[in-house]
Amino acid sequence: MSETKVTRGWADQDKPRTMHSELLEINMGPQHPATHGVLRLLVKTDGEIVHSVTPYLGYLHRCAEKIAEGCDWRQWMVYTDRFDYLAPMNMNFGYAVAVENMLGVEVPERAEHIRVICAELQRIASHLIAVGTFGLDMGAWTPLLYCFREREEILNIFERLSGGRMLYNYFDVGGVRFDAYDGFEADVLRMVNVMEQKLVEYNTLLSYNKIFIERTADVGVIDVDTCHQYGCTGPVLRGAGTPFDCRKDDPYSIYDRFEFDVPYGTGEQGTVGDCWDRYMVRVRECFESCRIIRQAVAAMPGGDVMSPDLKKLVKVPAGSLYTRTESSKGEIGFHIFADGGSKPFRNKVRSPSYSNLHVIEKVGPGMMVSDLVATVGSLDIVLGEIDR
Amino acid sequence: MEAAAIHALLTEKLGDAVLDVIDSFEKGSVIAAGSIAEACRLLRDEPALHFDQLMCLTGVDWDGYDESGKGKSVDILGYDELGRPEKSDRVGEGDLGVYYACYSSRHGHKYTLAVRVPRDAAQIPTVSGVWATAAWHEREAYDLVGMTFSGHPDLRRILLEDGWVGHPLRKDYVMPDQWQGVPLQGQDYAKNPFSEDDVVLPARPGQEG
Amino acid sequence: MSDKYVESTTPPAGYDPQREQWLDFQQDADLAELTQADSKNFILTTVDELFNWARLSSIWPVTFGLACCAIEMMAASATRYDIDRFGAGAFRATPRQADLMIVSGTVTAKMATRLKRIYDQMPEPKWVVAMGSCAIGGGPYFKYGYHVVKGVDFMVPVDVYIPGCPPRPEVLLDGLMRLQDKIRGRKGKLVTPKWVQDYASKIPDVKPEGGR
Repeated sequence: MSETKVTRGWADQDKPRTMHSELLEINMGPQHPATHGVLRLLVKTDGEIVHSVTPYLGYLHRCAEKIAEGCDWRQWMVYTDRFDYLAPMNMNFGYAVAVENMLGVEVPERAEHIRVICAELQRIASHLIAVGTFGLDMGAWTPLLYCFREREEILNIFERLSGGRMLYNYFDVGGVRFDAYDGFEADVLRMVNVMEQKLVEYNTLLSYNKIFIERTADVGVIDVDTCHQYGCTGPVLRGAGTPFDCRKDDPYSIYDRFEFDVPYGTGEQGTVGDCWDRYMVRVRECFESCRIIRQAVAAMPGGDVMSPDLKKLVKVPAGSLYTRTESSKGEIGFHIFADGGSKPFRNKVRSPSYSNLHVIEKVGPGMMVSDLVATVGSLDIVLGEIDR
Repeated sequence: MEAAAIHALLTEKLGDAVLDVIDSFEKGSVIAAGSIAEACRLLRDEPALHFDQLMCLTGVDWDGYDESGKGKSVDILGYDELGRPEKSDRVGEGDLGVYYACYSSRHGHKYTLAVRVPRDAAQIPTVSGVWATAAWHEREAYDLVGMTFSGHPDLRRILLEDGWVGHPLRKDYVMPDQWQGVPLQGQDYAKNPFSEDDVVLPARPGQEG
Repeated sequence: MSDKYVESTTPPAGYDPQREQWLDFQQDADLAELTQADSKNFILTTVDELFNWARLSSIWPVTFGLACCAIEMMAASATRYDIDRFGAGAFRATPRQADLMIVSGTVTAKMATRLKRIYDQMPEPKWVVAMGSCAIGGGPYFKYGYHVVKGVDFMVPVDVYIPGCPPRPEVLLDGLMRLQDKIRGRKGKLVTPKWVQDYASKIPDVKPEGGR
């Protein structure tokens, strides 16, 4: 017969009861309207205050790095689209630049300009979704529809350019696949004009909205040291106050020819590094992208768009190299190991959202559950690139 | 600082632990496995170096790597056209390695450290005490390549489930056909076709996205 | 494909036609002729058709976006390709109030058990739409995807398969309309009007210039 432990019995009725509380374990996800994709957050809360957050990843692990060892260098470009499916042009750009650095091939000028225009347009499109879904997490339904409306116009341009609406496979090692269609520059300039007006509209609608500011200012403060320790890059790092941008501090392609500022958080509405700062960095980056696009369109030369001395079967000489480019979410890096053959030996993808999400383990404890939703939304994670 | 100068500084401070120089497209040093944590701490704390960011931590399986540079490395196994896993009796051999790509935001220089250990003794000290971001990257290296990190606060699988058997990014990994009841093999579509009534094609081919 | 899943138009177990006799208009031939369902006459005959019409006009999907196709599903619910005009705009976060699961994205081994659990939590009648090539048959991750389930029909019965990577929002709406036809009992054969067929045959085949 086992011993049963009696905690409180008839004889204890004169002793006062002591309060007993325990942590509540809430499971957010993997199917959840507020986690941006299939992410599971195991949140232990003490009432409304979060005690610890543990992200569980891998619900979208699609083995892209294993596939790299089985297919050609150029065939893998298709899979890079699917990492950050909200900014596929940036992913394509990163991989193309990484392989071209190892090959030493020179990309034609026209292709470089088209690449920059596409990357910046894609940055705007991705930030539109970030802004829209962030508003949705805060309870604002309208900005999401407005942002999708603008994004459809950008996707129109991309569809006429590359054939695909959302996943393009447009960049190639050594250039881009198809030349720009007639009227591409006019379309892009018209889009940029419209975009600059609409961004002012979003500022009026969402950014300086009193309720939005109360929900996001002073919430989820991530300072610069934490960013450097946890490897946060992109708007998360810039929102913390450091104007670090791969396009300026580690330039690739032809970004050193263009004049643009790097917006960073200043604590305008609250503390430096809060959710509002990160959000506003994204909105201001859209303005800067419009500037870059105008300069690139003005300077666009003629010529072919594919490097002529590249064979159909690309063979990269043996060695390893880590190349990083600035995507809309942060710094996307490809650490490529080549053995001289037509297939990669190991392609490691360093995705910005992976490290950005890691910081929630440090910043999460101490805030309320709704603030946790706001912080995860402001990190702007995409599960496709976290799980690869 | 130039890469050669960084290598010289590391050799001066660590002595025998610096084994070789990496002189391919990226510049760096090969460090002995036991002293990698010390080397990383040196990289971060030395004022002239000040590598405060770990850009990327990569686990590599060097099994079957073609050293001659001709590209004849070993092929990996996948699923065939009918969705059945390809089988092979080849046992993997060769080393496992980890590459650390570091960056200094103050000086603006990059450097890569590399470690190589034999397959059956694949354990190196963790650097998550130096850069906090290494915690998750090392978990991923353990998960996919099978490298264990001693001193890691929470070394468990991150992308695959906890009960997964095998390390997929190894070159001798055989694809599973099921995992805990979830079928992972494909099917033979010729055996189980749709009937003519059920298939309705779009008006023109290629009208999908 | 698999016959152990019951079509929505067969009557449920326990249905007694004798008891429903007073509703069975086909007993009365004149009345049946008057009320037969064709394109000229919209007076509905049996309660079955009424229920089917109600179900197909307000299919509420559960938010089950997994990967890239989820963004096209969101675009389908945005203003340009409004899915709400089909009655399917109310995406429910909980499966208990939903009757359609649009599996948009790759199903991985880790997610498959959760998918089955969400499917089991949905009340009858429920339908599943496999959106995108990953949900149909593993997609581009077929050959080396050790963690990818090669098609969601290994886990749940699928009613409509929508190909594409990702399928355009219009194709998702097309698939939704075929699901509506299936619910109505027309077995998924969409009757394309003649003017649409003529127009479609006149679209020229354009090859993109340049590129490889």
